[in-house]
Amino acid sequence: MTAAARPDAGVKLAGTAVFGTDLDVPGMLWAAFVPAPIAHGRIRSLDLRAARALPGVTVLGPDDLGRFFGPAERDQERSLFALGEVIYRNQPLAVVAAPSALEARAAVDAVKVEIDPLPIIADLETVFPDWPGSDADASPQVAAHVHARHGNVDDEFRGADRVVSETYRTASVHQVALEPHACVAEIRGDVWYVRTSTQSPFGVREDTASLLGIPESSIVVDGTWVGGGFGGKGSSFLEPYALILARATGRPVRFALGYREEFRLGRTTLPAVVRMETAVKDGRIRARRVRLLLDVGTSLPGRDFATGYSIGFLLGPYRTESFEVEGYAVRTNKPPFGPHRAPFAPQCAFVVESHLDHVAREMNLDGEEFRASHLWREGESTLLGQTIGPFGIAAAFERARATARAWRAEAAPGHGVGVGCGFWSTSTGAGGEVRLRLGPQRLVVLEGEREIGSGSVLAGLAAVASRVTGLPRDRVVIEYGNTAVAPYDSGVYGSRTLGALGRAIEEAAVALRRTVAERLGARGQAELSVERGEIYAEAGERRAALTLLLTPEEHDAGGLVADGRHYAPSRLIDDSRVLSGTFYPYTDFTGAAHVAEVVVDPETGAVRVVRYAAFHDAGTVVDAGAAQAQVEGGVAMGLGAALTEEAIWSDDGRLVNAGLLDYRIPTLGEIPPISVEFIEGFAGAGPFGAKGLGEPPIVPVPATVAIATRAACGAHVTELPLSAERVARALKLL
Amino acid sequence: MTPRPLRLNVNGTAEEIPDVPGPERLLDTLRWRLKLKGTKEGCRTGDCGACTVLVDGRSCLSCLTLAHEVDGSTVTTIEVGAEEVLVARVRAAFDTAGALQCGYCTPGFVMAVAGLLGERGTAAPREELLEGLGGNLCRCTGYAAIVRAVDLLRTEVP
Repeated sequence: MTAAARPDAGVKLAGTAVFGTDLDVPGMLWAAFVPAPIAHGRIRSLDLRAARALPGVTVLGPDDLGRFFGPAERDQERSLFALGEVIYRNQPLAVVAAPSALEARAAVDAVKVEIDPLPIIADLETVFPDWPGSDADASPQVAAHVHARHGNVDDEFRGADRVVSETYRTASVHQVALEPHACVAEIRGDVWYVRTSTQSPFGVREDTASLLGIPESSIVVDGTWVGGGFGGKGSSFLEPYALILARATGRPVRFALGYREEFRLGRTTLPAVVRMETAVKDGRIRARRVRLLLDVGTSLPGRDFATGYSIGFLLGPYRTESFEVEGYAVRTNKPPFGPHRAPFAPQCAFVVESHLDHVAREMNLDGEEFRASHLWREGESTLLGQTIGPFGIAAAFERARATARAWRAEAAPGHGVGVGCGFWSTSTGAGGEVRLRLGPQRLVVLEGEREIGSGSVLAGLAAVASRVTGLPRDRVVIEYGNTAVAPYDSGVYGSRTLGALGRAIEEAAVALRRTVAERLGARGQAELSVERGEIYAEAGERRAALTLLLTPEEHDAGGLVADGRHYAPSRLIDDSRVLSGTFYPYTDFTGAAHVAEVVVDPETGAVRVVRYAAFHDAGTVVDAGAAQAQVEGGVAMGLGAALTEEAIWSDDGRLVNAGLLDYRIPTLGEIPPISVEFIEGFAGAGPFGAKGLGEPPIVPVPATVAIATRAACGAHVTELPLSAERVARALKLL
Repeated sequence: MTPRPLRLNVNGTAEEIPDVPGPERLLDTLRWRLKLKGTKEGCRTGDCGACTVLVDGRSCLSCLTLAHEVDGSTVTTIEVGAEEVLVARVRAAFDTAGALQCGYCTPGFVMAVAGLLGERGTAAPREELLEGLGGNLCRCTGYAAIVRAVDLLRTEVP
């Protein structure tokens, strides 16, 4: 299908799109956190009196929550403020509201707190310098433990021609959405109302209700335009604080983070250590052992999804006879782990690709051929026993290899070309509902997700609605509604919007067209078209203007209404292989293979990417322009994770580089030309066989750059990012 | 540091703003006093470029500029109308090239491109123009479509 102009370009280019940071309500107060000055300690005293004495200032601390909310209903595990013990640096001790940002800052400074320091665990490798033993499950530092096995792993390792073992380390990366978290809360009668920049209005409502112990029905969450999400705006954060301040003051309250706070408090991907062991016999992978230690900061036990979900990306996309996988979510004195575009999958792909390329080199085999010959195919099952549906990764890999061959033939001396691949699962399983309203001149799609920039709502869903009704794109209006108005939707994450809401639109459109056909006295679905600005319907032998087919009540309501919902069945995993913990099923497999040409500075080790090509199985592409833009943006973000992005945590739990000058995302001049090609013919679970494309483009990038770097200069770097320093060390220049 | 009045010509309108404190940033004057929220607040430390505006035709990081430093100047922001021909052309090129996604960096980028083209002209070497945009960060597009927008502007008749 063809590209269409972005429907949101007009407001965004005129400067009239209102983002979370732009919210401005007369009489609003400005909020700020009172942050914990150290990463771990027992609170001896928290004196809020001097701050409260300042004019116009309201301060709420842990003791104040009971004034507004029944403690029995509140989430007992999570609390808004540090209770007795501080567990990460900058953890909120209290929250203030004041007439201006300056006065809020002064109030924060006036709070006196005394904390007796406790030992700080900043580095997960200090918790388990060796692999966790059998008593590790009892450790307070373990938030989750997952373990699965299939086949006779030990026998395979004993009988192997060769066993290759390596350890990899990956860095903490931040989403760096340019808009920091921001919201404005107001209490309107008995409604707790908050406008916020979020990927999930319904998620914020659910989370806020649970944190505050108030019913979801009394909270209305209204999304603004979102200045980038990338996983960082997926659940509630500032909203509950802004709401309790609004409740306590009777005034609207604006809460927006400064960018340094955004870095320090943001929920990000944290460091990890991965141990890879591969047993090879007769040139085939016979068995793999994969062990993961994932830093989850102060994520609570039972609330860590990352380990059980992400670890599956270490198991594929390659065939093996038997395997054993074990992972621990390790708690440290950092903020809780949060999702970052394709959480931990780029890191996993980096480890898997680098390791298997290394295995092939050790066996004197061609790395690309070795990997290509083991790639999963449709109909096979994953190591956790899930059946793989239509999956174009092998086809993408072949296209990437052909490109790599051509580039190698013309590459300058000192340049290296590498191929890397990776996979993702589109999360179509979570709930998605929409309402369609077909009027005499247009079709309205009412839904509860704000467009966060990817185009999945305003381009993707509009394209689907147009195609399933036969109406031109300019007759389709996507209407966002807040949580009081819109049908339920779980939010923008997991590349799910197009698949889940797209299928819901499809279902509702079929119902609408059937109803219209019935009114024409026919069976089946009516065909819709537009003539002189009016929608016409045709079914059987009859054709009529839609306006003539609507009842007076439907005219009043704006048209004929139908609802659609989509909850995809997950292909389940084989529980007999699971020994401990929770693994999560993948619902729709999408794959990609990338090619990078790099050149490495022989004196500094600095890697420069010269050109880049991306081959993606995205099922059926529904909007070519939006799809290409997703891949270009995802590749650029991946190049940051590959080369420069690293949130550095000091031994005392401090984020050292909390700013855009020191945490380096790619700038315009650093991005090479990126060519994008879609591999069609592998239908996904979305409408017309579409697959989600928000996350897959970032997945293969660090792997591809690492393999190209090794090809260029021989440096086998086993840590992310591939900073000049790490490459130089691998080359023994340092 | 006593608050004192400030005179600016903003998007063609003469503004007299009473009682602007000495340390106030131009960014905050535009956003919170003049309610021109199109200029975005990102890092407030001059690293992201989201707050870029034109001051007397030259691009300027409004987060690192004290409002009183530019007293008496002409300020152009993303809200300016089509009468500002260069900005209108940049907007059109961004639209045609699809050079935006979330849109948060967009106002700063549009003003930075307009400032650069105003200063150097569309005939300036491509590399020079692209280097001039190194201070504006975008997390969504990978800059590819933004570069296509700049290329469109370069091929237009000046």
